[in-house]
Amino acid sequence: MRPFHCSAALLSRSDGSVRFKSGSSAVLCSVFGPIEVKIRDEKLDKATVEVVFKCASGQSTTTERLYERIVRETLEASILTALHPRTLIRITLQVLTDDGGILSTALNAAILALVDAGIPLRSLPAAVTCMMDREGVLFLDPTTVEVEGSQSSHVFVFDDAGEGTLANVSTGAFTMDEYTNCYDQCLSAAATLQSLFRSSIEGKVVREYGPI
Amino acid sequence: MAGPKDAAKAGSAVADQSAMDIDAPASAGFSLDPETFKKIHPAEYHRRFLSQGVRADGRTLKKFRKAQISLGSISTANGSAMVRIGDTTVICGVKAEVTEPKPEAPKSGFIVPNLDLPPLCSPQYRPGPPPELAQTISEFMDQVIKSCDLLDTQTLCIEAGHAVWVLYIDIVCLNHGGNVADAAMIALIAALKHTRLPKARFYDVESTVRVTDERTMPLDLKRTPIPVTFGVFDNTILIADPTSEEEPHLSTQITFVLDAETHDSLGVLKPGGTALARDVLVGACKSARERALVVAEALSAAISATTAGPGRP
Repeated sequence: MRPFHCSAALLSRSDGSVRFKSGSSAVLCSVFGPIEVKIRDEKLDKATVEVVFKCASGQSTTTERLYERIVRETLEASILTALHPRTLIRITLQVLTDDGGILSTALNAAILALVDAGIPLRSLPAAVTCMMDREGVLFLDPTTVEVEGSQSSHVFVFDDAGEGTLANVSTGAFTMDEYTNCYDQCLSAAATLQSLFRSSIEGKVVREYGPI
Repeated sequence: MAGPKDAAKAGSAVADQSAMDIDAPASAGFSLDPETFKKIHPAEYHRRFLSQGVRADGRTLKKFRKAQISLGSISTANGSAMVRIGDTTVICGVKAEVTEPKPEAPKSGFIVPNLDLPPLCSPQYRPGPPPELAQTISEFMDQVIKSCDLLDTQTLCIEAGHAVWVLYIDIVCLNHGGNVADAAMIALIAALKHTRLPKARFYDVESTVRVTDERTMPLDLKRTPIPVTFGVFDNTILIADPTSEEEPHLSTQITFVLDAETHDSLGVLKPGGTALARDVLVGACKSARERALVVAEALSAAISATTAGPGRP
């Protein structure tokens, strides 16, 4: 996997904000919540989760709509929405640079931004992208150039409570064996990511509030 | 097989019994008829059926509705198909137009799929911008077509650098009875198989393209992607081919796209929702493979029926 870097609390007005960089792909995520919700979108027993995905340049297309849906439905399963009924949690994702794996970078940024905002989560999910090229070689976290030679491409989001896959987008041509191989490789990469998230969050808490 | 009415009676019998067990003392003894119970406690209504191993429409958990495919409904289109899965009806038309290629890919044509969910198909859609479901399904179909190399876009070239075919694939949902994603993608592949292009020639002097009146050139499709969708109810119960009544109460959905000709998978989409274990995913994919073969057979039958008689609809 490419080396990743995250910096938190960058935006003063947001409840939570994180810039997540994986290799050369960088996404800035800002979270506002729980905030007031429009009556039309109000849910009586849960918080409403809204995701806005903005690409680096150009107009929003159906690609951004698909990413919004995936991020929203994944986070709805992770956020303890029942604790904040009749409110809105707005997650805005802005792509700064796109060098492949933008959906998983955005998801990781969103998860960390939710933690930065203090929104209660069921678990700490992590997203990983991988691809198989035409020779059957597996690449974790591929760049845009590497993706051009791909036979299939897979994005997995894993729950850290060991319960399984929260989200998956796989395209291309692949056998079930290749799929399960990608699944297992991405699962161990996600476990590494999750432990690194935890240690970075613990470090931040210790810096702000003193030892745990 | 239990029909919907038998299942409703079973449901109401269960509902009556349980209605008397909840809160109200025996002397109060009120019971709800199934239609009312369905309206005020829809999730519980479906739960009662699923606890007995059936669903509200009488199907077992893993049973799919039959896919009915008919080709050639739109005579003005280059290719068309209509697909019915239960109550869900979609119609797909493929229109070929001539356009200039992109400078960086002078021999490549374009394939532009688009699903429309108009207000007439369901009360949940209002006039205005396309609903999110329509855009996300369109995007997923586009990604599957491009990444599985369904059609070599260079076969759509008329004259390199000047003229290529663009295939506009317009899918319109006429009735949303659940699982529009499957119906839309089956209609797409059926219409593409039915598509015939005219012969085209580029005249350099006039800088125009002339086409023949007859449409005789089929597309060189390399694969037959067949979608299969499952839903998960209450985080644990896997059901096949959800209806529009079940869909709002599902914890998550998962769509597999399988190639009917080889053993390849061409796509998986689980857009979030509750987590699914690895063996559930693998097991669902195996069931999906069986369904994909059934649908592929129905598709071949529909194609043979169309080519059998040129004068017939």
